[in-house]
Order: sequence, then C-alpha cells, then structure tokens
Amino acid sequence: MSDAVLQVRELVKHYPVRRGLLRRSVAAVKAVDGVSLTLERGRTLGLVGESGSGKSTLARVLVGIETPTSGQVLVDGEDVSTLSRAGRKQLRRDVQMVFQDPYTSLNPRMSVGEIVGEPFAIHGIDPAGGRRAAVGELLELVGLDPDHTSRYPHQFSGGQRQRIGIARALALRPKVLVCDEPVSALDVSVQGQVINLLEDLQEELGLSYLFVAHDLGVVRHIAHDVAVMYLGRIVEQGPEQPVYDTARHPYTQALLSAVPVPDPAVRATAGAAAQPGGLVLEGDPPSPVDPPSGCPFHTRCWLAPTLPEARSDAPGSRPVPTVCATETPALVPHGDAATHVAACHFARELAAPGVES
Amino acid sequence: MSAASRMRSAAEGEGRGTRHSPGAERSEGEPKAQPLLEVTDLVVEFRTSDGVVRAVDGLSYRVEAGRTLAIVGESGSGKSVSSLAVMGLLPPTARVTRGSAQLAGTDLLALRPRQHRAYRGERVAMVFQDALAALNPVHTVGYQLTEALRARRGLSRADARTRAIELLDLVKVPNAKARVKEYPHQFSGGMRQRVMIASALAMDPEVLIADEPTTALDVTVQAQVLHLLAEIQAERRMGLVLITHDLGVVAGVADDVTVMYAGSAVEQAPVGPIYAAPAHPYTRALLRSIPSTAGADRGTRRRLPVIPGRPPSPAARPSGCPFHPRCDVAQDLCRTAVPPLTSPAPARLSACHFAADVLANRPPRAAERRDDRPQAAETPTTPPFDEQVPGGDHE
Ligand SMILES: Nc1ncnc2c1ncn2[C@@H]1O[C@H](COP(=O)(O)OP(=O)(O)OP(=O)(O)O)[C@@H](O)[C@H]1O
Ligand SMILES: Nc1ncnc2c1ncn2[C@@H]1O[C@H](COP(=O)(O)OP(=O)(O)O)[C@@H](O)[C@H]1O
Ligand code: SF4
Ligand code: SF4
Ligand SMILES: [Mg+2]
Ligand SMILES: [Mg+2]
Repeated sequence: MSDAVLQVRELVKHYPVRRGLLRRSVAAVKAVDGVSLTLERGRTLGLVGESGSGKSTLARVLVGIETPTSGQVLVDGEDVSTLSRAGRKQLRRDVQMVFQDPYTSLNPRMSVGEIVGEPFAIHGIDPAGGRRAAVGELLELVGLDPDHTSRYPHQFSGGQRQRIGIARALALRPKVLVCDEPVSALDVSVQGQVINLLEDLQEELGLSYLFVAHDLGVVRHIAHDVAVMYLGRIVEQGPEQPVYDTARHPYTQALLSAVPVPDPAVRATAGAAAQPGGLVLEGDPPSPVDPPSGCPFHTRCWLAPTLPEARSDAPGSRPVPTVCATETPALVPHGDAATHVAACHFARELAAPGVES
Repeated sequence: MSAASRMRSAAEGEGRGTRHSPGAERSEGEPKAQPLLEVTDLVVEFRTSDGVVRAVDGLSYRVEAGRTLAIVGESGSGKSVSSLAVMGLLPPTARVTRGSAQLAGTDLLALRPRQHRAYRGERVAMVFQDALAALNPVHTVGYQLTEALRARRGLSRADARTRAIELLDLVKVPNAKARVKEYPHQFSGGMRQRVMIASALAMDPEVLIADEPTTALDVTVQAQVLHLLAEIQAERRMGLVLITHDLGVVAGVADDVTVMYAGSAVEQAPVGPIYAAPAHPYTRALLRSIPSTAGADRGTRRRLPVIPGRPPSPAARPSGCPFHPRCDVAQDLCRTAVPPLTSPAPARLSACHFAADVLANRPPRAAERRDDRPQAAETPTTPPFDEQVPGGDHE
C-alpha cells in the first residue's frame, strides 16, 4: 500500500522559442515532456540525467516557481491546480526547495536571521514562541550556531551556506524538500557532511526528498528510489537496488558505466565498462526543441545498432530497428520488481552487462 | 582578464616566424628525455588586502614522457595557481618566491616574460576548466585554433584552415570541415572542451597541463573527454598533468598521483598503490568519502564517512601539519612540527609524521589513546567560524 506525499501525472513544461519582431512563438523547448512520478512519504526519490534533460525544470514546477504547460501535481492527494489561490499557497508550503549554489541562492544583504525567518514573513506566520526563537531552533537543527543570526552569508563557508538554505527551506515545516543538486558545488570532504545532515533530518522530521543530482554515487547513497531522465522524459525508474544493479534501459547502463570508479584495477580488466573505453555514449543529447522520433534515445543508443532487427533507412545512416525510430516505448515493468520500469522496446534483451552488484 | 585571454593576447603579440620553434624538429612518437617537467619546492604568494598569502607552499612534482600525473586537491588547495606559475600566466598580484620548474634543462620560472612566451603552447600547454570563458565569442573556432600557428609559424590562411580541420579531427569533433567555420556558442560544453584540447595541441607540446578539464561536464561527456586525453597522451608520448578534485576520475587514467592539501603535496605515489593503501590520512579520508555506485552501503544506508571541518584558507593555515585540525589520527607532535615529505615505502612519499603507520593501516605509534582527536573549534579559518556538525558527524 503506497502512501504518496507527492505525485506528478503526465507533467509537461514547454518554453516557447520566440523569433522575429513580433516575438512570435515558432517552436517549443520541450523541457519536461510527459513525466509521471510518485514520491512516497518519508522516502527519497533520486532524479538523474544529463545536463539539459529537464531535472531543474521539473523541480521548479514541483515547488510552484513555474506553472506547468499541462499535467497534474498532487500534494497529499490534492491536485494543486484545481485549488483556490489560498488553498494552493497552503499546499505550496508543504513543498520547499533547496538550491544548488550556496553562493548565489542567498541574498548577500540579508542577515542569516532574516534569510531563515523570511518564509514566516512572506506567509504572515508567527510561530509559537516567536520568530526569533524559531529561527534559532532552525539553525540549531541544521548544525549552525543559533547565536550567529546577525551574520551575513559571506561570513560562512559553502557547506554552512548550504545548511542555511536547508534551514530556510524547513521553516514552514514542509513535507517535501526538492533538492536541486544540493551538494554539487561543495568540496568532496564537505559534501558528505551535508548528505548526512539531510539523512538525519529525514529521520527526525519524517521528510520526503526529491533529490536531483548528477553524481550517481551520491544518489545511490541517499535515494530509496531512482528516476532516470532523458530529453524531458523518464526512461527508467524503480527502487535504487535494481536500477543500479540490473539497469533495464541502455541509457541508464551508459550513465552508470561512465561513472569513474575509484579503483585503478578496473582499468586493467579489459572490457570493464566503467572506464574510458567502456560504454562511452557518442555525442551530446539532441536538442529538446526537436527531439528524435520514436524512442528519443535512438540517435545515441548503443544497443539499437547491435540488434538483429537493425537496418538503415539511408546508406551511411545509423542502423536501428524500425520500431526504435518510429514508436515511442512506454514505461513498463521489465525487471523482477513490478515497480522497476523502463521505456525500451528491447529492455528484455539487456542481460545487464552494466555494473555488477 | 582571464588566464586564457591573457594567453591569447600573448600569442597575438608574437612576431611572425621569427624564431625556430623548439618543438618543430621532434618527430612523432620518439621517446623524450625524462623527466619532462620537474617542479621543485614551488612557492607562490599573493599580495592581498589582508597582507601576503601563500597560495602554493613548497609544491614539488615531476612528469615523465608518456605518463599521466594526476594532481588531486580540494578547491583552494593551489592546483590552478601552481599551473599558472608554470605557464607564466600568474596575475600581477602574484609572485613566485621560491622554487623551479625545469623543462628539459630550462627553469621556466627563471624566464623573463618574453622568453616564457616562447615555451608557452610550444613546449608546455594548458587546458582550462571553463572552456566557454577561454574561447573568444567573436571569432570562429577555426580562427582561434590556428591563431598562434599563424602568428608564430607564419602559416597561410589556407594552410591554417587545413590544420584547424586536422586538429578538430584529432579531438574527434564530428564534421570538422563544416564546424571550423562555427562560433563557440554553437558548440556544446563537451565539444568546446575538445576545441580547447585541440588548441592546446596545435603546436605539439611535450607537456599538457589540463586543469579540471571535465569538472563542468556530464559523466557521459566526461568519459568521452578523458578517453580522448588518454588516447592522445599515449599516441604522442606526451607528459600529461591532469588536475582534478575528484579521486574517482583519475583512477582509470593516471599513472602517478599527487595529492595536494593547503598549497603543497601531502602524498605522491603510483596510482595502484595509492588506492590500495594510502600513506597519508587525508588521502585515506578522501577515498572513504566517495559514495560508490556499486552499492557497498546498500540497504543499510550507512552514514557517509566525512572529514570534519573544511580546508583551511591560505591566510590562516594551521601550525604544524596543516591537516591536523581535521585529521583522525593527529598527535600532539602534529600541532607543532611540520611533517617533512618522507618515503614510507619504495616509490611512496607522504608528508605525515606517521606515514609508515598510516600505510600499514595501524594507529600511529605515539597514539596510546585514540581519543585525543582534535576539536574542530581549533581550526583557524576565515570566515570566522567552523563547519559545525550535528552529533559529531565524523563517522
Ligand atoms: N526558461 C527557459 N526558457 C527556455 N528554455 C529553458 C528554460 N529553462 C530551461 N530551458 C531548457 O529546458 C531544458 C531542460 O533544462 P533544465 O535546466 O531543466 O535541465 P537540467 O536537467 O536541470 O540540466 P542541468 O543538469 O544542466 O542542471 C534545456 O534544454 C534548457 O535549455
Ligand atoms: N588573484 C588572487 N588573489 C589572491 N588569492 C588568490 C588569487 N588567486 C587564487 N588565490 C588563492 O590561492 C589559493 C589557491 O587557489 P587555486 O590555485 O585557484 O586553487 P585550486 O586548487 O582550487 O585550483 C586559494 O586560496 C585562492 O583563494
Ligand atoms: S527503444 Fe531502441 S533506441 Fe530506444 S533505448 Fe531501446 S533499443 Fe535503444
Ligand atoms: S602529521 Fe599528524 S596531523 Fe598530519 S596527517 Fe600525519 S597524523 Fe595527521
Ligand atoms: Mg539543473
Ligand atoms: Mg582551480
């Protein structure tokens, strides 16, 4: 029985591309193109994918910074878009955001006390015991000195600034934190401190996280479930263990094989996918303005050309099975778990040559 | 002005074909003298409003022909500043106050700026982290690739174009013939970094210094670029200095590793041994703090081992061993005495008083009590206070 705190149904976010004097919309950047997700209460859903795949756009729609082009966002089962303004504002309080860059996401002219207490002011809330005390408590919660409320962001290190951002996000007692690359800008030795803090807070406050990161190691560590995005769509999703150990989408396998393994022996073993020379994906992701037909990954898929069904349309063109170029694969179960889904016509052919457990 | 644009204008200022290029007579694949580049006891200081700060504090390393040296360190450890010193590209507020950088019998650091220019690009070249900032938006990629070649070697426009296409082919930019005419903004991040690599290779340098060449890239693109660098390095028997903050990145491509902390090398070793058994507590802690995709901590979601506190700023370096406020095995001695670089085993160097113990993975011999771990509060740092970790985050 699932207990979904946040649900996303068929979410679409297109940005118009405007040209000419009249700024007419001539095309659309399909940043998010039909995403469905479920975040279970008290759990962490990791979201991974290459740059430009739409992770941040999805995150911004979820916290209400952007309005979706279509689709639904449900918080605790209630559709945010069908509520009144007041009701929407209330629900929005339940979903807060932690930003990537602790250097630019905090207003340099505001003291730490003002930054962390600002959500109270915005929402006109007076917490029991007063705002001052509440801010002190929040700072303590994230491991900062509550006496430092009058200091300014530049007096803190990157890791501390990220803690300030987390304290602010927690002010309104949200149910969900959407963390967009919360540790990417931090030094390796400080990253772990923030990850451990997030895990502690989850346990203490029963929080649910949507955790966006490009570091697949970090995501494996913190997430219970993982969703892999490519060109605005989810191509694979499921519990962390099967997704990492028995990936069923060629893109997920390629992503995993590109992660450098801190073990020099891996290079020595020929054919090991994990190092340069392994499953290296060709080229860059195509433009989200004009995504490929059929399976959006077919222009870079390493599996498709190796299949017996592969054929080229034109001499010299990349041979892929016709179905890959013409039909968009649905996200359906392919692994042992019904919750492990992948969008590939040939997912069953993948005897998981990826990463061993 | 960015380091790269400085490099650009330096190349522009060069007279045409006045000097025989030192790299021109080398034939491809011929073995070169070893070591190619040897940096010894490098000290770089900056004049700042807070007085003089030491960004690089006695760094030594050597790169041999056909080998890749990885320099690993957290931000601010002095990786970029030391590279800029070798390249002769330090900003005017910086001064090399000690040390040498020998390249085939010449001390690069003793050269006058004009003389240094003759080596830059020709014998030792650099790739910068931010490829977009390093490329000029108003010139085509082809023009920028061959700017220095035209200036220094007097290449004709047609020859320069042919060479630019060759260079793009070399770094595997698809459809090079058409793409030389494009502008940097028309290239993706990974493709721009390829252009930067091509540009650094234009004059066939013996040593290439790549400063975090993949930090801004996706893992997939990072893998492509690392693969490319490794291939070119092997083909040309070039000496490659690969600078990164990510120990994971270097395992697959480096031959030797130098770990930097607070401006100097704390450990140097061949790549295999350093991962198998680090000889410095900082290296050991870094290795432990990498979350793995292999799911070693699966199910339990074991806490990530972390290093308490944060790297010291050069304006407030701790006494004794610079790592002591964060070290999990620090002893009284560490607070007062600077550990020299010692060799606890053949081919191994570590700047730790207890290098042999760390290497053998046993407690330091002086440590009767393991509980005298230092408090983070001792870390002298600017901004005025320290990373505080709830509930003692250190493991
Ligand atoms: N305001 C906007 N207007 C037009 N296009 C946009 C806008 N915001 C994002 N995009 C485009 O939408 C796509 C998805 O962008 P998004 O920032 O969500 O990617 P991402 O997965 O977060 O990437 P990264 O890993 O680099 O942060 C990209 O092609 C981006 O250029
Ligand atoms: N122009 C400058 N003026 C003063 N200090 C500088 C300057 N450039 C770099 N530094 C300092 O020198 C130290 C080393 O910097 P750098 O070499 O860029 O580190 P990294 O290892 O991240 O490349 C840092 O503490 C940095 O703040
Ligand atoms: S559907 Fe075809 S192109 Fe798409 S991932 Fe599967 S094999 Fe590759
Ligand atoms: S010298 Fe002391 S403080 Fe420094 S690394 Fe070795 S044990 Fe730790
Ligand atoms: Mg993003
Ligand atoms: Mg740097």
